[in-house]
Amino acid sequence: MAGSGINVLFMGKNFLRLLEGLWVTMRISLVSVVLSIPLGILFGMFLTLKNPLSRALGRVYLECIRIMPQLVLLFIAYFGVTRAFGWNLSAELSAVIVFTLWGTAEMGDLVRGALVSIPAHQYDSAAALGMNRGQTFLWVILPQTLRRLVPLTINLTTRMIKTTSLVVLIGITEVLKVGKQIIDANRFDYPTAALWVYGVIFLLYFLACWPISSLAKKLEQRWR
Amino acid sequence: MKKRPFILKLTALAAAALLALGALAGCGGKTEGTSAGAAASFRTLDEIKQSGKIIIGVFSDKAPFGYVDENGEYQGYDVYFAQRIAKDLGVEAEFVSTDPASRVEYAATGKVDLILANFTVTEERAKQVDFALPYMKVMLGVVSPDSAVVTSVEDLAGKTLIVVKGTTAETYFEKNHPDVTLQKYDEYADAYNALLDGRGDAFSTDNTEVLAWALSNPGFTVGIDALGNADTIAPAVQKGNTTLLEWINAEIEALGAENFFHADYAETLAPVYGEAADPDALVVEGGVVEN
Amino acid sequence: MEETIQLQVSGLIKKFGEDTVLNGIDLSVRQGEVVVVLGPSGCGKSTLLRCMNGLETPTAGTILLDGEPISAGDRNITRQRQKIGMVFQSYDLFPHKTILDNVTLAPRKVLKRPKAEAEADAQRLLERVGLWEKRNAYPRELSGGQKQRVAIVRALCMNPEVMLFDEVTAALDPEMVREVLDVMLELARQGMTMVIVTHEMRFARAIADRVVFLDGGVIVEQSPPEIFFTNPRTQRARDFLQTFTYENRRP
Repeated sequence: MAGSGINVLFMGKNFLRLLEGLWVTMRISLVSVVLSIPLGILFGMFLTLKNPLSRALGRVYLECIRIMPQLVLLFIAYFGVTRAFGWNLSAELSAVIVFTLWGTAEMGDLVRGALVSIPAHQYDSAAALGMNRGQTFLWVILPQTLRRLVPLTINLTTRMIKTTSLVVLIGITEVLKVGKQIIDANRFDYPTAALWVYGVIFLLYFLACWPISSLAKKLEQRWR
Repeated sequence: MKKRPFILKLTALAAAALLALGALAGCGGKTEGTSAGAAASFRTLDEIKQSGKIIIGVFSDKAPFGYVDENGEYQGYDVYFAQRIAKDLGVEAEFVSTDPASRVEYAATGKVDLILANFTVTEERAKQVDFALPYMKVMLGVVSPDSAVVTSVEDLAGKTLIVVKGTTAETYFEKNHPDVTLQKYDEYADAYNALLDGRGDAFSTDNTEVLAWALSNPGFTVGIDALGNADTIAPAVQKGNTTLLEWINAEIEALGAENFFHADYAETLAPVYGEAADPDALVVEGGVVEN
Repeated sequence: MEETIQLQVSGLIKKFGEDTVLNGIDLSVRQGEVVVVLGPSGCGKSTLLRCMNGLETPTAGTILLDGEPISAGDRNITRQRQKIGMVFQSYDLFPHKTILDNVTLAPRKVLKRPKAEAEADAQRLLERVGLWEKRNAYPRELSGGQKQRVAIVRALCMNPEVMLFDEVTAALDPEMVREVLDVMLELARQGMTMVIVTHEMRFARAIADRVVFLDGGVIVEQSPPEIFFTNPRTQRARDFLQTFTYENRRP
């Protein structure tokens, strides 16, 4: 009779494989987040420009990225680009590109919202003191904007980490896929392994996301 | 202060360009038969030999055809064959994990040199990829709970049938029995969970697959074990990759002489199916299908 | 006494869309003079101040600071604004910075003064208004009156030639109004050129060298305070002052 499913976790390199899979997940999402933050700030500022053409372009980009399912974007980046132009992007590069595009769009919208929430008087006060636009942005507006963004950015980061599981469909073996591989390889001997494997994966996601959340809390307090 | 607006204009340009790229790529990918765009992206036989490795798309979570063991090594009926191909080519085998729905894309874009992922030959797929000689044959099976065994297609009336996207089961039921309600999943593990949970009443895919699964999941029975036409499973390469295709066909014929695929069955499938299946009903030796 | 004209407003017209808020203002402010601008709400007092330091662009007319025209969007405007300090009704200290940082930010970043020097100046001014001990606090920890005093110090740290005050006590609780007005009186005594918009009538009377009465976008009357408050020349001024006096209910 099949033993307890927990045994699969200790067989061979299984646990190590799960950790390696987690590393793949974190690598892709964190690189994408790190790229998305500065690009998102620029995009957010871009969205607040008065020029109607630039605003329209910005909105088009934002809505397109939001409407398209990430899976479709991944397919386009990985397979579509090869079909159309013959360029061969690696799966991980495609994933990072897609997540960065998505992250930049989302981040940009958050930044725009935060910028708009800064009272107009702050601009007036800074101007009255003789600060030019650049100085006002750098020393008065941006710091306040960033403080408002911390919780939302963390939310975006954890969402990105979770969405990374889609990359299995372009062949990247991340932690969820490793879990499925382990479960399937043992489905004749340990049909109940799924519970244990997913339990561990849940724990791993938690361990991955928790330091990010506490970093955010520390920042929020420091900047209170 | 002129600098800042310029940076923003540049960003806008970049973003618009990326978007246009994405839209174009999307259109390019959707149109049929634009092999001109993907033409030069497969590797010829010589290129593969020279590079020292062959990239093969297999399943990584569908035992006993393609799965990963506890040491992180690929195993299974398809993988056993893949390893032999690599050995006879004198190269290393590099495996890429594919899912049923993406097999065609992988082959058609040259992201892999070869697909050996329980890939059933169909006319539709043959338009997009080139199939080699078959190495296995299969029909559809339907597994359902012992409490409500489905023994014929008529039994499925009013019930939900689980299928995995991109498989022959999906196409078969959509075409021949459109009245049956289908519940579709991207991956096998999700499909099985749905059957176990009772979210669906039965699951259909290749008979080999459901036979194996029912063996290790008490409470379920394969009520239908030979549905639809006998389909063959064959390796697939990118359309036009004649050098590789010819080599594989020759390889399969040669391997027929040593009963390679029966040995493959004994090594990878027999331990799983045991008494439940007859090797000759599944194995195709030398690329010749005997009925 | 030097009679240099510091600020010269000529033919100032300001429209917002169809709405004409300022309809031809001529005003000269001499160096060291304290001008108080009074008038009913909506008559353009704030707009006048905002035009003076370029926060609003005039529809027509000119404003000269020390003989140099002021116009927003001009590359010179930041330099000119360094010479004009402005304090707003809603103080608008920078919430993410300490009091000391709030006050030294502009001198360090705009005037490029070294940190030690800027802080020494800040200390001097903050001590004068009795808020040096709060230098490491954040704006949200201060009362309205304290914040407004800091706002004044912040503007003063730029060493302006002219100070504009836009109803700076209007949002304060009555107990805190006095501490702010005292600071302004002290400034006036030291000879700062000031243009003040206020509703505090007794304060206006005490501090003004000249009262300018604005109504309907034009200057209706300009007089020294003694004349304006006791015997205004125009009917409209009289009506305006009437709203601030109360007949005793009990005989």
